Amino acid sequence: MNKKLHYYLMIVSFLCFQFTMAQNRTVTGTVSDNTGSPLPGVNVVEKGTSNGTSTDFDGNYSINVADGATLVFSSLGYATREVAVGTQTTVNVSLAEDASQLDEVVVTALGIRKETKALGYSLTEVGGEELSTIKTPNAINSLQGKIAGVNITQNSTGAAGSSRVIIRGSSSLSGNNQPLYVVDGIPIGNENNGSASLWGGSDGGDGISSINPDDIESLSVLKGGAASALYGSRAAGGVIIVTTKSGQGRDGFGVELSSSVTFDKVDTSLQDFQTEYGQGIRGRKPVNLVEARDNGLSSWGARLDGTPVVQWDGVERPYSYVGSNLDHFYRTGTTFINTVALTNSTGNSNYRLSASDLSNEDVMPNAGLNRKTFSLNASTVLAEKLTTSVNAKYIIEKVNNRPRLSDAPGNGNFTVANLSPNVDVRFMEPGANEDGTERTYSTNTFSQNPYFAAYNFRNEDVKNRIIASTSLRYDILDWLYLSGRIGIDHSTIRRVAVEPFGTAYKPLGGINEEERRYNQVDADLILGLERDVTDKFSVSGFVGTNSNHIKEEQLNLGGNDFIVPGLEDIGNTVSQSRSRTYGERKIGSLYGSLELSWDDWAYITFTGRNDWFSTLSFPGKTTPNDDFYPSVNASLILSDALNMPEFVSFLKLRGGYSEVAGGAQNPYSLSLIYEIFGNPIQGQPLGRVSGGTVPNSNLVPFSKSETEIGLDARFFNNRLSLDLAYYQNETTNDIVNVATSIYSGYNGASANLGKVENKGIEFLINATPIRTEDFSWNTTFNGAHNKGKVLATDDVDSDVSLDEPRTQNVRITHIVGEAYGTIVGVSYDRDPSGNIRYEIDAEGVPRAVEGERKVLGEGVPPLTLGWTNSFAYKNFNLNVLIDGKFGGQIFSGTNTVVYGNGLHKATLEGRESGLTVSGIDAATDQPFTTTVAPENLSTYYGEINDIAEHFVEDSDYIKLRQVSLGYSLPSSILKNVFLSSVDFSIIASNLFYIKRSIDNIDPESAYNVGNSQGLEYFGVPSSRSYGMNINVKF
Amino acid sequence: MKKVIYILSFVLFLGACDQGFEELNVNPTKPVQVDVANKLTALQKFISSERYDNWRANLIYQSTMMQHFATTAGYWSGDKYTWNKGYASSLLDRYYENAIKTVEDMLVQLEEEGAPEEMKAITRILRVYAYSRLTDLYGDIPYSEAGQAVISGIFLPKYDAQSEIYPDLLKELEESAAALASGTSGFGAADVIYGGDQAKWKRLANSLMLRLGFRLIKVDAAGSQAWVTKAISGGVMESNADIFYLQHDTDNRNGNGEVFLADGEMRMSKTFIDFMQNASDPRLPILSARRLDGSTATADLIGLPNGLDSEMLMTMTGEENTDNYAEPNRSIITGVEAPMFFQTYAEVEFMLAEAAERWGLAGGNPEPHYNEGVRAAMKMLEIYGPAAAIADADIDTYLANNPFDSANAIEQINTQYWAATFLNEYETFANWRRSGFPALVPVNYPGNVTGGTIPRRLTYSESEQSNNPDNYAAAVAAQGPDELTTRVWWDVP
Repeated sequence: MNKKLHYYLMIVSFLCFQFTMAQNRTVTGTVSDNTGSPLPGVNVVEKGTSNGTSTDFDGNYSINVADGATLVFSSLGYATREVAVGTQTTVNVSLAEDASQLDEVVVTALGIRKETKALGYSLTEVGGEELSTIKTPNAINSLQGKIAGVNITQNSTGAAGSSRVIIRGSSSLSGNNQPLYVVDGIPIGNENNGSASLWGGSDGGDGISSINPDDIESLSVLKGGAASALYGSRAAGGVIIVTTKSGQGRDGFGVELSSSVTFDKVDTSLQDFQTEYGQGIRGRKPVNLVEARDNGLSSWGARLDGTPVVQWDGVERPYSYVGSNLDHFYRTGTTFINTVALTNSTGNSNYRLSASDLSNEDVMPNAGLNRKTFSLNASTVLAEKLTTSVNAKYIIEKVNNRPRLSDAPGNGNFTVANLSPNVDVRFMEPGANEDGTERTYSTNTFSQNPYFAAYNFRNEDVKNRIIASTSLRYDILDWLYLSGRIGIDHSTIRRVAVEPFGTAYKPLGGINEEERRYNQVDADLILGLERDVTDKFSVSGFVGTNSNHIKEEQLNLGGNDFIVPGLEDIGNTVSQSRSRTYGERKIGSLYGSLELSWDDWAYITFTGRNDWFSTLSFPGKTTPNDDFYPSVNASLILSDALNMPEFVSFLKLRGGYSEVAGGAQNPYSLSLIYEIFGNPIQGQPLGRVSGGTVPNSNLVPFSKSETEIGLDARFFNNRLSLDLAYYQNETTNDIVNVATSIYSGYNGASANLGKVENKGIEFLINATPIRTEDFSWNTTFNGAHNKGKVLATDDVDSDVSLDEPRTQNVRITHIVGEAYGTIVGVSYDRDPSGNIRYEIDAEGVPRAVEGERKVLGEGVPPLTLGWTNSFAYKNFNLNVLIDGKFGGQIFSGTNTVVYGNGLHKATLEGRESGLTVSGIDAATDQPFTTTVAPENLSTYYGEINDIAEHFVEDSDYIKLRQVSLGYSLPSSILKNVFLSSVDFSIIASNLFYIKRSIDNIDPESAYNVGNSQGLEYFGVPSSRSYGMNINVKF
Repeated sequence: MKKVIYILSFVLFLGACDQGFEELNVNPTKPVQVDVANKLTALQKFISSERYDNWRANLIYQSTMMQHFATTAGYWSGDKYTWNKGYASSLLDRYYENAIKTVEDMLVQLEEEGAPEEMKAITRILRVYAYSRLTDLYGDIPYSEAGQAVISGIFLPKYDAQSEIYPDLLKELEESAAALASGTSGFGAADVIYGGDQAKWKRLANSLMLRLGFRLIKVDAAGSQAWVTKAISGGVMESNADIFYLQHDTDNRNGNGEVFLADGEMRMSKTFIDFMQNASDPRLPILSARRLDGSTATADLIGLPNGLDSEMLMTMTGEENTDNYAEPNRSIITGVEAPMFFQTYAEVEFMLAEAAERWGLAGGNPEPHYNEGVRAAMKMLEIYGPAAAIADADIDTYLANNPFDSANAIEQINTQYWAATFLNEYETFANWRRSGFPALVPVNYPGNVTGGTIPRRLTYSESEQSNNPDNYAAAVAAQGPDELTTRVWWDVP
């Protein structure tokens, strides 16, 4: 009876606010280590319940417990202690260090939690606070520079843009090399919904950006094949497992509020153009309106002298420097992120319900995004031995005016960057005349008025996305369990893009309406066991089966030439086009894992997975439609097995081998298909073969095998730790395009002939040099070096061409024997001693001769480093992150164009009295020296403009990336209020470059996130951010 | 019991591992096959082709080389005999991936479906026509191995010698003609050229045989005569109702028409205007009009000489503006819904006249065939529309004033042939090379690549040098340098 009443009272009290119902006893105290120093962050839990708290900075805690309770004090690196409360109200405890007690548990493949001891591979787990201290609209970007071997770049795709995440180098020549994202156990779609190419375009955003950073509990990065082999055919790029917050971890009902505001300002210091000469050609100011408009973006005029000179709109203005147009045009961007979360945890269930709003106004005028996320995580015990959990997220995202990148049409960034020093962009506002036509500033219709591009072009999309999963676990026996999980990722994106009536390059305008649907259903059933066979020998393992089903559909309606001006509707167009694409595929799998461990210091794990693919199935096909992926990894805790010197707290050796796969994701590509196309002629329909690529009915996914070894060592009671990994992987059967003669009727065929290799090392050094009562300093240094090489392409080892920018004098190409993704472009024509050849034209101006195309660099920097320093003083903390990338190159389209139009500082030379040029005369092959007259400089520099070699430079940088200063209210204050924690921080990111090898641009400003890295061409300029966060829990 | 349940549920999942995958991987939005009739319609459209190659190969190069058009614009390479490789290879770049791919695919389908011979015959005739355009313009080309990437897995076809292509083309025509009788073919209305009328296809087969037979005249006179004889006895086109042409519409536009929409640089060549002016040709006001105001008054129609740029024109005439010269008549023949002619009855009559002249065939008297050819060439313009109709009386007057001159029979016949094939410059160029008439005076523009001679072929695609280097090199070794001046096999000097 007593027990029942006790039980009842506990339930009742758990259902109410904790502070309104006093329980039996409040116990307080201080936890310190064996030197007497207080220990913050120690878990104090009422044994047998989920009622717990933790010690504050001074080692103090306060907890309400029932009579007769026992308190369990635990903290990483210290031996756990249990103390019966008895009748005391004060319990002070001192904990002894126990470095060998490293039972940190991390989330591994398929959501299985394992001790890090047992892992034979490299895995990095990052806590949610890494992502929620400095919040970015795309959560993954906050991790840049923090995880060794994970190369994250946002590039200049805008706030709603995609991110590029590459783990241990790119494995495939042409396939998707980004990792698989798994959220709460289910894989989610991460397709990039559109990207910019040489003709322009916008980045359509990706999948990971939908996850609210405030909802993330932890993020595990499975870097290599050994870690991700259980994901089989989707693991070639590594796996990132995101676990969202649940109700566990604190008792009773709790509320958490987070609010952050960030201001973004374009970093104008990046661009350093000349400000001495103004608009014009041949050293003269424009004398009339026609000249001003004919040379809209030419800065080869006279020296700025303040006299009135006519500009593009007929108005005369002083011929002087007007200040940075970047400052004039771009506004201060703001991002507000507000999240409220309710949690509750009772004996058998817990839940977390959160709602979040992200409102962003981009630095580009009239562009921004709003994302609302609602999420619920709940788990409960349904019956004895049967537990279930549900995770659901609903995201609604509206993006307005994703910036157009790359080529000029619709790209306001291009104009703003290229205006002459005396032309103020602000006079171009409004972008349209009264009749709605574009106010042009140049006779070149493709030079866009930036205000017209920002306000009159329309590009809007709305994404509705649901990510939900539910799982059920039945503990058949103590050591045997059955669990099942099913999840769905469903999104609908509705997009409209309008080039308005009155656009200079497309006077009648056009509209495009698009709807994309994506649906992924994933289900697993696992039977697992964990058993100690003998005292020292344990076995754990599982077998399971998985079904994954993806459906994608796209409907497109396009209209050209509006009839009634101003009415932007597809019905109001002269000609329409329509299309529908559909794709559906399935993978069925069987997998299993077996882990054997001996005496808690030796572990070996075997895994295997067999995937059956619908994309490899076809009626009548005889070659197999499945593939098998094994792996083995082992871990030896040498510090447990052998006697180690005193200062070695922990030493683990690990190694593994794995085979995974990727690619072959396109359905319907095994056989020839036909289509009815176009419009009937004389009423008769037209039919033909569909597509220009020869289908390959024997196409298989590419395979990637990897070997990795590593070591994890900790010294001086964990004050110093070192994690090293070395890996080597090789991709075979990579899918490449085999060139065919166009006279065969087709322009290519796909074959499994490619080979890529990556070798690298990763390291992580963590040290806490100072730790005193009031102050501690922790420093982490991580880095990775990856060398990727193309080993084979097709049967004749031809080059594989990827993208090229609008200048078309350079292209990202895979060449056998060279690094992955080399930048190949037009070079100078030189004589054997290296002197440049010029053709002297009729006016005596030397014009650089275009040489052959050569390898000018590699697009992906092989060396990435990150250095984080964390300082804590009483309740304050300061974190500083510096990161850098080295060894790569970038082609700057911006520098190319501004060189040709006289904005680049290098073109100042010679404007007063001519430029002396020496070289080899191409006609005679003899050396020459001549002086180029000032009015001919644009011809001379214009020829260099075509030579890509001149504009491919090192993209090395070191950047002060993030600084955050935070303060947590001490428990002494909190005790008296109903709040349980208040954290406040000021943050700044992308502050400045400590070192930058290339001028005028941000070295991380490529315009897409695909395999063609190293091409920059007028993206949104980079910005600095400042802001603050507040997080309140009660 | 519990264990059994677990095992059962596992087995269920096991069995489901790849169930239904084969059906799933079949594209629900695209058919695995379409009706061969739909492909025929598409093939006919592909043979007429699109703006891309009509602009570059047909008009920019051949129309100016043949002095039907002239221009001062620099990018019209044919007017000045300069070399733009991309323009020159444009027919190759389009025909193989459209017309050739489709026709080879159709033959496989017709064979698999056991279609009647007459359907195969029609397809083979169109195939011969497409390849004849290609080989006449470029010489040795992929033929036996072309378009076969999926059918036979040949990704890099070899180039067949023209000396082997021609006999095969002629044999194909002979067999196809034999397989055709009367009545409507299985293609029915999908055949938007002849509506499935087998008799017309048979006459076309023989008419093409007549044309290709004549091509051999310089390289194999006896063989030429044999094929011409065979063609005539097989039965060739009999009236303008037999003309081999495609009528375009606004959704499927005439490639030349699209060029005229986008490009206003071309003018009527002085050579062509003078020819029509000197003979008071009733076609003059129908084919041409003054650029400035569309006037078709005879005194207002002046032809621009070939081979000039703006500066040279300025030096010559004191005026660089070309608005006072004649251009193709934009109210009659330049529309996007215009017909595209491939072989006309007029050409057939001219060839019969030549056969009579050379070998006494077709009745032995060239004059009635010549007159009939001129009449047909003038009457057929009414296909463009009522504004293009020429009255019979005007044709009678023309023939009376410009009678057949047996002393210069071959020249006169082939000069009329040249005028009659205006806008089908592929045929104009081929017949000019074969016959040597009319005697065009070449231009000699600074920087030209032919030494001041009219080109004898166009050149291969640049992509072949990197994609198909061995076969490309073999073709060049066999035929001669891949240049505009190299002659094709039947074009013996």
